[in-house]
Amino acid sequence: MTNMMSYGLEIGQMLLALALAPGLVGLVRWLKARLQNRLGAPPWQPYLELRKWLAKDVVMSTNASWIFQATPYIVFGSTVTVTLLVPLIATPIAFDAVGDLLVVVYLLLLGTFFLALAGLDAGTAFGGMGASREMTIAAIAEPTIALSISGLAIGSGSTNLGQILTTTLTDPAAAISPSHFLAFAALFIVVLAETGRLPIDNPATHLELTMIHEAMILEYSGRYLALIEWASWTKFLLFLSLLANLFVPWGMATLVTLPTLALATAAWIGKLILLASAIALLETRVAKLRLFRVPELLSLSFVLALLAVTSSLVLK
Amino acid sequence: MMQTLFLLTICAYSLGALGAILGGRGQLGRSLVGALAAIGATAGLLLGLTVIFTGQSFTAFVPALLPVGGGLALRLDPLGAFFLSVIGVVAIPASLYGIAYNEIYESERGSLRLLGAMFNLFLLAMSLVTLADNVFTFLLMWEGMSLTSYFLVITESDEAETIRAGNWYIAVTHVGVAFLVAAFLMLTGNASGAFSDLRVHASNLSPLARDLVFLLTLLGFGSKAGIIPLHVWLPRAHPAAPSYVSALMSGVMIKLGIYGLLRVALDFLGGGPAWWGVLVLVVGSVSAVLGVLYALMEHDLKRLLAYHSVENIGIILMGIGAGLLFHSYGSMSLAVLGLVGGLYHTLNHASFKGLLFLGAGSVLHATGTRNMEEMGGLMKRMPWTALFFLIGAAAISALPPLNGFVSEWLVFQALLKGLNIPGIEAAIAMPLAVGMLALTSGLAAACFVKAFGITFLAMPRSHEAESARESPLLMRIGMGMLAAICVVLGPGAIAVIPLLSRILVGLGGLAEVPVSLTEGVSLQVPTSSSQIALPTLALALLLAIGSIPVILKLLRVNFRLRRSESWGCGLTELTPRMEYTATAFAEPLRRVFAELYRPSKELTIDTHPESKYFVQSIAYRSEITPWFDRMLYTPLLHLIGYIANKIRRLQSGLVHLYLLYLALALMGLIFASRWIER
Amino acid sequence: MNDLLFSQLSTLVAASVLLFGILLVWRRSLLAYIKVFQWQSTMLTILFAIVAYFGNDPKLYWIGVLLFFLKVIFIPRLLQRFLVQIDVEREVAPYINTATSLVLTGVMVLLAQAMTNPLIRLITLPTRNGLPFAVALIFIGLFVIITRKKAFTQVLGFLVMENGIAMLAVLGTFGIPLIVELGVFLDLLMGFLVMQVFVYQIQGTFESIDVSKLNQLRY
Repeated sequence: MTNMMSYGLEIGQMLLALALAPGLVGLVRWLKARLQNRLGAPPWQPYLELRKWLAKDVVMSTNASWIFQATPYIVFGSTVTVTLLVPLIATPIAFDAVGDLLVVVYLLLLGTFFLALAGLDAGTAFGGMGASREMTIAAIAEPTIALSISGLAIGSGSTNLGQILTTTLTDPAAAISPSHFLAFAALFIVVLAETGRLPIDNPATHLELTMIHEAMILEYSGRYLALIEWASWTKFLLFLSLLANLFVPWGMATLVTLPTLALATAAWIGKLILLASAIALLETRVAKLRLFRVPELLSLSFVLALLAVTSSLVLK
Repeated sequence: MMQTLFLLTICAYSLGALGAILGGRGQLGRSLVGALAAIGATAGLLLGLTVIFTGQSFTAFVPALLPVGGGLALRLDPLGAFFLSVIGVVAIPASLYGIAYNEIYESERGSLRLLGAMFNLFLLAMSLVTLADNVFTFLLMWEGMSLTSYFLVITESDEAETIRAGNWYIAVTHVGVAFLVAAFLMLTGNASGAFSDLRVHASNLSPLARDLVFLLTLLGFGSKAGIIPLHVWLPRAHPAAPSYVSALMSGVMIKLGIYGLLRVALDFLGGGPAWWGVLVLVVGSVSAVLGVLYALMEHDLKRLLAYHSVENIGIILMGIGAGLLFHSYGSMSLAVLGLVGGLYHTLNHASFKGLLFLGAGSVLHATGTRNMEEMGGLMKRMPWTALFFLIGAAAISALPPLNGFVSEWLVFQALLKGLNIPGIEAAIAMPLAVGMLALTSGLAAACFVKAFGITFLAMPRSHEAESARESPLLMRIGMGMLAAICVVLGPGAIAVIPLLSRILVGLGGLAEVPVSLTEGVSLQVPTSSSQIALPTLALALLLAIGSIPVILKLLRVNFRLRRSESWGCGLTELTPRMEYTATAFAEPLRRVFAELYRPSKELTIDTHPESKYFVQSIAYRSEITPWFDRMLYTPLLHLIGYIANKIRRLQSGLVHLYLLYLALALMGLIFASRWIER
Repeated sequence: MNDLLFSQLSTLVAASVLLFGILLVWRRSLLAYIKVFQWQSTMLTILFAIVAYFGNDPKLYWIGVLLFFLKVIFIPRLLQRFLVQIDVEREVAPYINTATSLVLTGVMVLLAQAMTNPLIRLITLPTRNGLPFAVALIFIGLFVIITRKKAFTQVLGFLVMENGIAMLAVLGTFGIPLIVELGVFLDLLMGFLVMQVFVYQIQGTFESIDVSKLNQLRY
C-alpha cells in the first residue's frame, strides 16, 4: 500500500509540475508587465500558446536530420524524468535513491546537449550561434553547480536530495549558516543562467544579437516547439523548486497523508510565487549583460560557491 | 584453461605478424591478419576475465629466454588482468575494423606488410606488458610497445607531417623510458629484478628514495599516459596513425601508463605520504582542464580527439589521486572508491574513445579529410557512423545513462568525500578539483556538440563531404561493438564495479575483503548515503521519452509535418558558406579563456587601388600556440640545438681521437663506480 | 545554544563582509566601488554590534558607532565629492581580467582558510570561524591595490584591507583595546587624506589617475 502511495505521489508531483510550469512562466511575464506599467498578457497565456502550437503543422528544414525530430522528445523526456527525482512537496520520495543532485544536473545537461545539436541541424547561422552560446554558458556554469552541490553535501554527508532536505529540516540552525546563504546566492545566479533569464539571456527577445535560447529553437514549430517550450518552462519550475526546497524546506510534507500534502502543496506554490516575484522584480531592474561579461558574473557565482564550501568546512 | 588461452594469445598474434610479412595484401591476406589479431585479442580478453573472476593469478616462467635479465617471467594478477581485458575490449573491434580500413593502403601509401606485422606485434607487446613479472621483461615489452607503435604512427610516411609526429613521439617516449629505467634501478637495488623482490626491497627504501622513485615513475609513466606537459606527442602522433591504431593508442596504450603508475605506487611502494595523492590529483586536474580547452580549439577531428585523451587521462588521475590521498590517511574504503572511479573511467574511456577514433576514421575514409570545416551533412550520407559517433560523443560528455557518467560520478563522489580530509593540501586542492572536474565535463559537452554538430549535421561544406558514402560493413561492425559496450556499461556498471573493487583487494594494504560499492541495482558510496540506480533511471528515461509520442497521439495532436527550406532571414537560398563553422562555434569560449590561449591575430585587408572603400579581399589568420609549446618546448629545443652545436666540435673524424674518447669514458666509468661503492 | 547562535551569526556577517570585498573585484564603475565599500562597512558595524552584544563588551558599541560615522558616512561622502572632482567614472581594464581575478580571489579564500586552519584548531573563541574571511579580505584588499590601475581604486583597496584588519581584530580578540583601535583609525584617516592629496596631485600632473602612467617619470 505504502508502495502504491509513494509511486502515486511520484506521478502526482510529475503531473503537478507539468501542469503548473506554464502558469509560473505566465505569472512572471504578467508580473513583469505590471512592474513596467504595461497591461501584459494574462498569466494563463502560456497554456493558450501550448494549445495553439499543438494544433499547428510542423515545418521542418530540408537540411535537418532525425536529430531535429528526436530532440523535442529527448528534451521533454529528460525533463519529465527530472520531475520524478526532485522532491517538490514531500520528502523523501520513492525516486530519491534513483538519482541524486548530480543526476539531476546531468540529465538537464542531456537536454541542453541535444538542443544545441538541433540548433546546428538546420544549418542556419542563428541556430549555430544559439548552440555555441548556450553550450558556453552551460559549461562555465557547471563548476558553480558542482561546488554548490558540494557545499550542500558536506553538511548532510550525501548528494541525495532526500538526505539533504532531511538534514536541513531536522537542524534549523544550519539554515542560517553562511555556507547555506552563499550556496543559495551562487545557485541563484546559475539558475538565472541555466533557465535563460536576465541578465544572462532575455526570454522575451528575438533580437538577433542578444538571443541565446531563442536562437537555438528558432527553426522549431508546431508540436515540437510546444514540447521544447514546455520542457524549458518545466525546467524553470524545477530549478525554482530546488532553490526553494533546498534552502527553505519547511512546509514540505514528511508524511504522506492528504491534509499534509495539501498544506505542502500550498506552501510550495507560495514559495514559487515568492521566487517568481523576485525574478520579475530583478528582470525589471537589471539590463542584459554583454555576452562576454556573463563569464564574469558566473565566475562571481563560482567564488560564492567556493566560499560556501570553505565556510561549511570551517564550521565542521 | 588459462595456459591454453595464454598460448592462443601469443600464437595468434605471432602468426598474424608472420602472416602479414609473408602476404598481408589483398582481401584474403588482410582478413587473415585482422582475424588472427582479433582471435589473439579475444583469447587475451578471456584470459583476463578468467583471472578477474577466479581471482587466481596465472604464471609462466621461461628462464631460458633472456637469461641475462633473469628470464622471461610472466604473471597475470587481477590488476594486470583488468588492463589485459581493456586491451581486448578495444583490440577486437579495432582489428575487424582494420581489415576494411586497410584497403586504402592497398595501392601505394605505406606498406601493408609492415603495418599488419607491426599491428600484431604491438598488440602482443601491450598484452605482455600487463603480464610482465620482472623488471627486464617489463622494460623489454614496454620498449617493444613503444617501437611497434612508432612504426604504426609513421605508416603514412609519405607525408612530412607524419614523420615529424613520429619524431616527437619517439623522443618523448624515450625520455620517459629513461625515467622508468632510473626508477626501476632504484627499486631493484641489489635484489633480483623479480617483482616479488621489488615489493620487499621497496619497503626497505628510505623515505627520500621512495619519494624519488615515485616522482620518476610519475614522469616516466606520465609521459606515456599523456599528462600535461608531457603530452606533446599525443596530439601529433594520434592523428597521424591509421585511425584504428589511434583508437588502440588512445584507448589502450596510454592507459598502460596508468597501469604502471598503479603497479609501482600502490603495489610496490604500497602507497605513500599525502602529497603523492595531492600531486597526482593536481596533475590530473590540470591535464583535464587544459586538455579539453585545447581540444575545443581544434578543428582537426582526430587532433581534437587526441586532446580529449589528455583530458580523460586527467579525470582518471583525479580518481587515482583521490584514492592515493585517502590511502595515506588510512580510509581504505574511500581509497577504493577513488581508485575504482579511476579504473572504471579507464575502461569507459577505452570504449568511447576507441569508438570515436573509429568513427573519425570512418569519416576520414569517406571524405579524405580530417578538417571539420570541410565536413557537414554526413548524418544523411553515413547514418550508421553518425549514430555510433553520437553515442560515443554522449558517453564522453558524461551524459546519463551512458558509461561516462558513471565513472565521473564515482570520481566526483570521491572528491566530495575528500573535502573532509583535514590536511591543508587537501583543503586547497579538493574544492578546486571539484570545480575543475565539473568545468571539464561541461566543456567536453560543448566540444562534442561542436565535433558532432559540425561534422555530421546541416549541409555538407565541401564536395568531398557531399559525395561521402557509408563505410563498409566490417568497419560498422567494429564501431557497433564499441557503441554497444558504451551503452551497456552505463546501467551495467552495477555488475562491473564489484569486480573492480575485487581487483584492488590486497594491493598496497587495501582491505582483503572487497569494498562494496553497490547495493541491489544502486551504486552506493561507502560511509555515505549517496546513491544512484542507473538501471532504473535508464528505464524511466526511456519510458518517458517513448511515451510522449503515444500520449500526443492519444490527445489527437496535429501530427502533420511539412518540409521546407531553413529560414534565411529573407535570403532565398542558404548556402553552406553561411553555416556556423567550428571556429565560430568555439569563438565565445576562446574569448572567455583568451588569457590562456593568447591567440595571435593577423588581419590583411586588400583594397582597390583607386579607393580604400572598395575592399577586394580580407584575410584573417589567428593561431593558437599552446603555452607549453611556447614556454617549454621551444626554448628546450633551442637549448638542445645549441648544445648539440657545441658538441659537434668533438666530431673530428679522426679514429685516434675516437679511441681516446672511448678510453676516457671507460676510465671515467671505472672511477665513478668505485666512488659510488664507497 | 547562545554560543552556537553567536558563532553562526558572526560567521554569517563576516562572510557578507567578505562578499562585498569580492564584489569590489567584480564591479567596474568607481561609484559602485564606493557603494560596495559603504555596504561593507555597514556589515562590519553590525559585526561589531554582534560581538559587543554576545561578548558583553559595551565599549565595542562605541567603536561601532565611531566606525559607522567614519566609514559609512564620512569617507564615502568624501570619496563621492572627490569622484566629482577628478571626473572619472570607470576603472580601465585591470592588469588581470575580471573573470581571472575572481577565480584568483577564490584561490585566495582557500589559501586564507588553509593558513588559519591550524589557528582555528587551537583557539576556542565562538567567533573563530570568521577568521579565514578576515584574512581573505586583507588578501583581496592587497590584490586590488596590486592589480588595478586607477589610484582611486587603490585607495579603496586600501580601505577594504583596513576593514579586513578591523574584522580580524574584532573576531580574533573581541576587539583590541580601545586606544589601539583609535590609533589605527587615526592612522587610516591620515593615510587616507595623504593618499587623497596624492591622487589629486597625480591627476593634476598627468591629467589621469592611471597609475600605470607613473613610469613616465623615468624619462
